[in-house]
Amino acid sequence: MSARLEAEHLYKVFGRKPDQAVERLRQGTEREELRADGTTAAVIDASFTVEPGEIFVVMGLSGSGKSTLLRMLNGLLEPTDGHVRFGGQDLTELGARGLRDVRSKKISMVFQHFALFPHRSVRDNAAYGLEVQGVPRAERERRADEALALCGLAGWEKSWPDELSGGMQQRVGLARALATDADLLLMDESFSALDPLIRRDMQDQLLELQKTLKKTIVFITHDLNEAMRLGDRIAVMRDGRIVQIGTAQDILLRPANDYVASFTQDVDRSRVLTAGAVMETEVRGDEADCGCETATPETSFTELCAISARVPHPVAVLRDGRLVGVVPRQRLVGFLGDEPADPGTCDSPRDKGGEKVMARA
Amino acid sequence: MPRIPLGDWVNDAVEWLRTHISWLFDFFKAVFTGTYDGIDAVLQAPQPLLLAGIFAVLAFWLRGTLAGVLTFVGFAFIDSMELWEDAMVTLSLLLVATIIALVISVPVGIWAARSDRVSSLVRPVLDFMQTLPAMVYLIPALLFFGTGAPAGIVATLVFALAPGVRMTELGIRQVDKELVEAAEAFGTTPRNTLLRVQLPLALPTVMAGVNQVIMLGLSMAAIAGMVGTGGLGGSVNQAIGQLDVGLGAESGIAIVILAIYLDRMTSALGTQVSPLGRRAAARARAAGGLKIWSYRPRPQVAVVGVVILALVAGGMGVFGGSGDSASVAGGKNVGEGKKVTLGYVPWDEGVASTFLWKELLEERGYEVEAKQFDAGPLYTALAQGDIDIVTNSWLPTTHAQYWKKYGAKLDDLGSWYDETTLELTVPSYMKDVDSLADLKGRADEFGGKITGIEAGAGEMALLKSKVLKAYGLDKEYQVVDSSTPAMLTELKRAYGRKKPIVVTLWSPHWAYNDFDLKKLKDPKGAWGSGDGVHTLSRKGLADDDPTLTRWMKDFELDEKQLTSLEAEINKVGKGKQQDAVRTWLKKNPGLVDKLAPAASGSGAKPAEAGQPLDVAWFPWDEDVAVTYLWKNVLEKRGYRLNLKQMDVGPVYTGLASGDIDLNFDAWLPHAQSNYWEKSKENLADLGSWYEPTSLEVAVPSYVKDVRSMADLKGKADLFDGKIIGIEPGTGEMNLLKNKVLPGYGLDEEYEVVDGSTPAMLTELKRAYAKKEPVAVVLWSPHWAYSDYELTKLADPEKYWGENNKIHTIAHKDFPDEYPQLTEWIRNFHLSEDELGGLESEIKDRGQGHEEEAVAAWLKENPGVADRMTAA
Repeated sequence: MSARLEAEHLYKVFGRKPDQAVERLRQGTEREELRADGTTAAVIDASFTVEPGEIFVVMGLSGSGKSTLLRMLNGLLEPTDGHVRFGGQDLTELGARGLRDVRSKKISMVFQHFALFPHRSVRDNAAYGLEVQGVPRAERERRADEALALCGLAGWEKSWPDELSGGMQQRVGLARALATDADLLLMDESFSALDPLIRRDMQDQLLELQKTLKKTIVFITHDLNEAMRLGDRIAVMRDGRIVQIGTAQDILLRPANDYVASFTQDVDRSRVLTAGAVMETEVRGDEADCGCETATPETSFTELCAISARVPHPVAVLRDGRLVGVVPRQRLVGFLGDEPADPGTCDSPRDKGGEKVMARA
Repeated sequence: MPRIPLGDWVNDAVEWLRTHISWLFDFFKAVFTGTYDGIDAVLQAPQPLLLAGIFAVLAFWLRGTLAGVLTFVGFAFIDSMELWEDAMVTLSLLLVATIIALVISVPVGIWAARSDRVSSLVRPVLDFMQTLPAMVYLIPALLFFGTGAPAGIVATLVFALAPGVRMTELGIRQVDKELVEAAEAFGTTPRNTLLRVQLPLALPTVMAGVNQVIMLGLSMAAIAGMVGTGGLGGSVNQAIGQLDVGLGAESGIAIVILAIYLDRMTSALGTQVSPLGRRAAARARAAGGLKIWSYRPRPQVAVVGVVILALVAGGMGVFGGSGDSASVAGGKNVGEGKKVTLGYVPWDEGVASTFLWKELLEERGYEVEAKQFDAGPLYTALAQGDIDIVTNSWLPTTHAQYWKKYGAKLDDLGSWYDETTLELTVPSYMKDVDSLADLKGRADEFGGKITGIEAGAGEMALLKSKVLKAYGLDKEYQVVDSSTPAMLTELKRAYGRKKPIVVTLWSPHWAYNDFDLKKLKDPKGAWGSGDGVHTLSRKGLADDDPTLTRWMKDFELDEKQLTSLEAEINKVGKGKQQDAVRTWLKKNPGLVDKLAPAASGSGAKPAEAGQPLDVAWFPWDEDVAVTYLWKNVLEKRGYRLNLKQMDVGPVYTGLASGDIDLNFDAWLPHAQSNYWEKSKENLADLGSWYEPTSLEVAVPSYVKDVRSMADLKGKADLFDGKIIGIEPGTGEMNLLKNKVLPGYGLDEEYEVVDGSTPAMLTELKRAYAKKEPVAVVLWSPHWAYSDYELTKLADPEKYWGENNKIHTIAHKDFPDEYPQLTEWIRNFHLSEDELGGLESEIKDRGQGHEEEAVAAWLKENPGVADRMTAA
């Protein structure tokens, strides 16, 4: 059973006298001022909770502190201040030995550049975590083979990492993380090094696996599309601080500030938005009374457009057979263009009874 | 710019290390020697070709068929050049050095990889070790470890350590950070991260480091040959010394063969042991397919092959060995298996005399080892006692510098060949140049140059400072410093082209056989009389082995004998010198018995030595010294001594009653006269062995103008008005205060400071170290006179009273019972220096170590024991 992960006021400062730096940050000193003194505040006051079975994505540009944050979650980096709790256990209180124990059994990690051991076969790589735990050879090989099969690598057990393509290598990385049966999966830009098509495949596979495995996953990425695709919730980081936490639609529709907003500009909204986010909730009550096609709040934007094209009037959105909103075609176009305002009036003569407009030479 | 005395500091540091933690060096030496002997024994045991086979199988396994075949050919070639033993010596040396280097460098490298601070500390040390010229640390290594394998190993080690450390550090630091992080993320302990991830992945780089260690070690082999490690380095050295291009090439190529073999094997081993390497090799094989010359047996096959060959080798060693060591006939077995090490500089007469004695001594039952050195290390080693005898020391001129430095630690057993000369020499095609005087005005012809040898050589010093000046040539000619081989090469070159050349040379020298040369006459005698070729021994050999010492002292060869022996040796070439000596000895019958007469046995046990002697002694410095001295000497002659410490009165009583046999410390006729008078009917006086004893005031001899008590007058300021005394109330102090000072009118001026004997000595030591004036109350004999330079203040008025002598006294029947011993004791005498030296030795070693002190002192004063028990 997965457990809840809580991060509470995490700070990480590199450089001399980190404790003093944390104190100054609390009192409102800016990151730039500290940098002038030679100390780097990588993570500042990060707090969040990841529910069991949730995919929590941390999104930010490089240098925003997301990788540092991730490494504090499993104790590879010791927080300068703050606490990490997993399943009720405060990881920041543990000694080196206790931390190693937690890392070997409860938390596993998938790396950006796969980090496969080149001197071990695929099977031995996948079994690595179990070997560290001291699981007997026969059992760990069985479980490693299972994990490999789960990741679609059955039959490759005896190969060597250098014989596999990038995507397959990362599947081995994923299998290695899954084999230990850890509750928490930390994924550090795990798909960034793959080319786009393979990245799509891996994302799909991860979502597919998650349906059955229900792990708690913290996923780091710098790609907002990926974040929106994978994340149940997304934390956006900038300069060491978390600037917004919310669902993909929250981020898209209600960005906390201009920075987040500028981020969302390039996002393919049609993939993120659903009927529920787009619909008008002021309804007369009879919009669904015809026999036309209707949508549900979960209907994706693309599909909604398709329905709207087939229906001569605004599309009715029903939840459990009850009307909850309507989507006029106008609104669809507005969301796609990121234009929330209603259409204005036009003084063009083409609206005045279809008169021909003569060019005045 | 002030002179920073770095050299002095280093000298002091080396001296301190040598005296204070010699146990540590002894330990290392034992480890090095043990490992080396072990490996060497293994490598030397099998037949050369069998071992070559084993090497070939290893190469077959590691690299394939072709490598195996080439290996066998290479090693067989070494064997055919008769360099096999040397090669194996070098190989053992190298293996030991490599093993030790790895044991040290891999952990240090790991440590440096994990800590930047360690890394930044280690780096300059490595630079230092790698760039410091080898000879600079070879000599201290000699001081610490003696000659032979340990010093060679240390030199190799110092040189070869650096790449091991560097490559290990580099390899570990190069391992992908993400991999290390991955290991940690799965909860791997730091130790396992190191063992399972970092080291396996760093292994190719580490193995490259091992490879470098071996290669650098091998390049040190030639230099290590200079300190008596032997092996191929020794041959190279010898070749250089004799300008033997052929031998040089052979040994050089043998080194190259070893180097290539070891290089290829270690790099292949790197592929074999590292998982990555195996992976790469497997891929290459898959790509390339199987070929006969790259076929490699499986490890099992290779192991079986090696084991079979090793078993055959072992079997042959067991059944075939030990046939050639003939046993020595009983009566002539003087050596009784004692080990003797002969050292020599590879000059012809040195090789000849050394191998002559090797043969002679082996016939007399000694186990003899002959080691070849450069002159400097040779003397160091002899002074250290690492070698026992050197038969080619050119004294007093050529080796003067070494003698000056080490002479005190050596014994000169006399010269065995006197007809040597130093000279300037020209080829005989140089007409009209017959004597040194003829060189005058012909500088143009010779390019103004005299081709010399090593700048530090005695001959060069003599030439520059005396000879040239004597003939007024010093303005005209420049003496070119170089080296003996370079000089000979130059001579050979000029000779071949019939060019004018003048070189420094000496006789006997083979150059006179090979070239037609003319020694320039020295009518003014500026070169001085020629050197004698002397035999030197380490201190104490005379005590340890008087017979051997006597043989060496009596050793003499005439020119005909020496040249015929040299000719015989030159005929057979290197490696068979001893065979040549045997042949030569056959042609000179009777010489063996003449040079090494096997006497009927020395130091026989006298009949009277049956029952134990009871010797009483007082706890006074001189009595402790003399009693333990006699104990040591007499026990070697078969006597047994029981020592009993007693007070003065009981000693006389005991002697009179016959309970005690001897006492060596009777102060007569004054101090103990009352005791003597009481029992003199039952006592025998065996005479005095020390005189005079005296009481006195002493000052350090750097206090000028104070030679007698009277000189103290008016100098109270100088001595701060004080005379440092001993325990108040002792006879001497009373005498000083009541008689001596008033007698010289000093009692107003000086105050006698009451104290204690140790306090007085401490004060003396302190003042002496600072060269401050000090006057102390002292008496003779006392060790202070041998430790410091002191002036006893004369007592012309005899206020200190008459002098005692120290007598040996015994029970009255003693002379009848022990006639031999009585004679020895009656003749016994020690000088003040001897007694003082012995006392200070005993003092240095501390109580409970008296016997060691005496033994050590006897070693330093080899004549004494024989003198005490002379027939």
